[in-house]
Amino acid sequence: MAFKDISIVVARYLSSLELAFRLDRGTPQANLRWAVDGLAGALALGVVAATPVAAQEKPGSLGLGLFTFTSGPAAAYGMPGKNAADLIIDEINAKGGIEGVPVSATYVDEAQGAQGVIAEYRRLAGDAKNQVMVAALSSANCLALAPLAEQLEVPTVGWNCDTHQLLIDGKSKYVFRPNGNTVPEFVAYAIYLLDRKPDVKTVAIINPDYAFGHDAAKIFTAALKALKPDVEIVAELYPKLGSPNYQTEISRLATARPDVVFSNLWGADLENFVRQAAPRGIFTSSQVILALGETVLQRVPLPDGVIVGVLGDGWWMSPDAKANPETVKFAEAYKARFGEYPVFPAIKMANALIYVKAAYKAAMQKNGGKWPTRAELADAMKGSKVATLTGTAQTRPDNDGLVDQIVGVTVKASAQPFPVIGDMVRYKGDSLMPQAGQDPLAWISTLKPEFARRLPKPGSYK
Amino acid sequence: MLTAIIPLLLDSLASAALIFFAAVGLTLVFSVLRVLNVAHGSLYSIGGYVAASICLFVASRQLNSYLSFAALLFSAVFVAAIFGPLIERGLVRWTYGKSEAVQILITFGLFLILEDLQRLIFGVQSFYEDAPMRLLGTSSIGGVVYLNYQIVLIGMALLVVIGLRLLINHTRLGRLITAVVTDREMAQSIGIDTNRIFILAFSLGVFLAALGGALATPTSGIAPGLGADTMVLAFAVAAIGGLGQIEGAAVASLIVGLARVLAIYLAPSLDAVAPYAAMLAVLLIRPYGLFGSVTARRI
Repeated sequence: MAFKDISIVVARYLSSLELAFRLDRGTPQANLRWAVDGLAGALALGVVAATPVAAQEKPGSLGLGLFTFTSGPAAAYGMPGKNAADLIIDEINAKGGIEGVPVSATYVDEAQGAQGVIAEYRRLAGDAKNQVMVAALSSANCLALAPLAEQLEVPTVGWNCDTHQLLIDGKSKYVFRPNGNTVPEFVAYAIYLLDRKPDVKTVAIINPDYAFGHDAAKIFTAALKALKPDVEIVAELYPKLGSPNYQTEISRLATARPDVVFSNLWGADLENFVRQAAPRGIFTSSQVILALGETVLQRVPLPDGVIVGVLGDGWWMSPDAKANPETVKFAEAYKARFGEYPVFPAIKMANALIYVKAAYKAAMQKNGGKWPTRAELADAMKGSKVATLTGTAQTRPDNDGLVDQIVGVTVKASAQPFPVIGDMVRYKGDSLMPQAGQDPLAWISTLKPEFARRLPKPGSYK
Repeated sequence: MLTAIIPLLLDSLASAALIFFAAVGLTLVFSVLRVLNVAHGSLYSIGGYVAASICLFVASRQLNSYLSFAALLFSAVFVAAIFGPLIERGLVRWTYGKSEAVQILITFGLFLILEDLQRLIFGVQSFYEDAPMRLLGTSSIGGVVYLNYQIVLIGMALLVVIGLRLLINHTRLGRLITAVVTDREMAQSIGIDTNRIFILAFSLGVFLAALGGALATPTSGIAPGLGADTMVLAFAVAAIGGLGQIEGAAVASLIVGLARVLAIYLAPSLDAVAPYAAMLAVLLIRPYGLFGSVTARRI
């Protein structure tokens, strides 16, 4: 026990030292930082090794490390996630906690960058109280944390990680994603577009300049080319993440005169783009697809007919969501507390916490009611099928998630002062996913128009 | 051919105008005080936040929408009047004559404080108020729809260049500033109140930064982190033009604007590096910038 306590203190001290070094990246300090990383990692491993016996007893509280963006332009997407976590955790604790153990969350702001996020993860993992990490929002941070989760053997639930690269090797034991990934998310848009606008000839893309933007462009383009080979990509723009001004990009899109403009910009970037593009006629001259458009429906006046979706099934007004009293209650409570309805990042976070709760229940049923170790918890997540607020999250043997994909277009609604999603389709989660271990892009290239014809059509989800 | 060149030209000018507003205050302050103010970007974003707040107030009280134009200018004056004397007297004056490292460390500390202050006051969500942009409408030029506000910005940037040149060359204050810039000790010895000149010049720099932020708000959002991005870009422009050179900042803004726009049109993957590639190219040929020189400085 003494070793554990000393290890925690020293690991925390080393992590804080590492944060201090972030400002100075000179060679000697950089070397020192690696040394500190190594030492902190070794000590954190020591803590993990020293705690399995204690983990069998019910703790006084269950700590969760929750990673999201709470500052910077990405906070427009990250804060709904934090809000939802606050709400769900309050609800869980009001009902006595998870299996009788109250939950306490420690939030980590991902805006500090990967080095800071890694240091915070290591610090939290070093404390045995924190049994699960709900991390992260950014695909880049998810990729950075995944090896650490495996090394420290901490169950880590990617509440938003979209990149298909996260679990591609199929070897992960402790990293889970109770969501779809970039493959079904963006193949869904290609299929919906071709159903709605079969004569499309030219497409322009404007995505953020990092893995999520580039992956989405690759997948969307590959799916379009497979299903309609004569489609031409006439412009591909990748503005810097957090860019406030898109006027030049908008001019470039206007000069390209594409039939379709596709974008997976998000957060404040998406708001800025919509506000700047709308008065300049982009939404009238082209069919616009905003893959994360649902997040701005309540904040920005989007015109009718824009193809939008929720990168999964997390639409709080979907027929399934409206039929679930828990979801209706959650949406109303969220609106009452935060002033707007839960956008899909909020639903994703809520679903991720429901997933964690279900894993505890399953793990305790399996081990005779004892409080599970981290390994037992991870074991319970593998292959699980959990009813969420908006559907089902199924975990495959490779730990990747199968979640349905909802896509539609913006329409006016008399009941709401903002546009909602209409003419919806709900694709089954497994119908747009390659088999575990299969190269996603190779799988997409095998798709044929017949494949799309077998899928449900726009307007079929009512 | 013309239809391809017009959008390139207009976008370059519009982009250069915004970049110029971000950079000109930085270069002016350096020319007079010989201090590289790392907190300049924060003052730019504070100008944006204040302008957006006042415009939102105007909208919420259903006052005449055209008041939002006055609000943009007023917010810059307000920020300059509050922060200019406060920062110069409270912090910057202690760095005069100190090494550049000390000046940069102190203004960097101020930058961190101002960034956190913005988060505390305005929160972490982005701010946006586009009333001035909507009021002016749009025009179709070369087959592309432009905001008339973008064209107004180009004109405003031109007015600022002319206005600053008139101020420096044809007013008493301008001649006093020139005297201080040319020889600080000599100016002091003939009775010029250099402290007053420093306060005024620094406040003018803050005004220009805040004006840049305020004028940018109607076309782009303001969010935490904008200050850092602005500062880096402003420094690149100041380095290309020559630190302390107002016309240099104008020409450098055009170069950076053109480089960015060309990258977006022709090689989008180079968009982010284009301004710094331009800086590198200029500094390799002229290490003191286009308008800078080793021995003499002018404004």
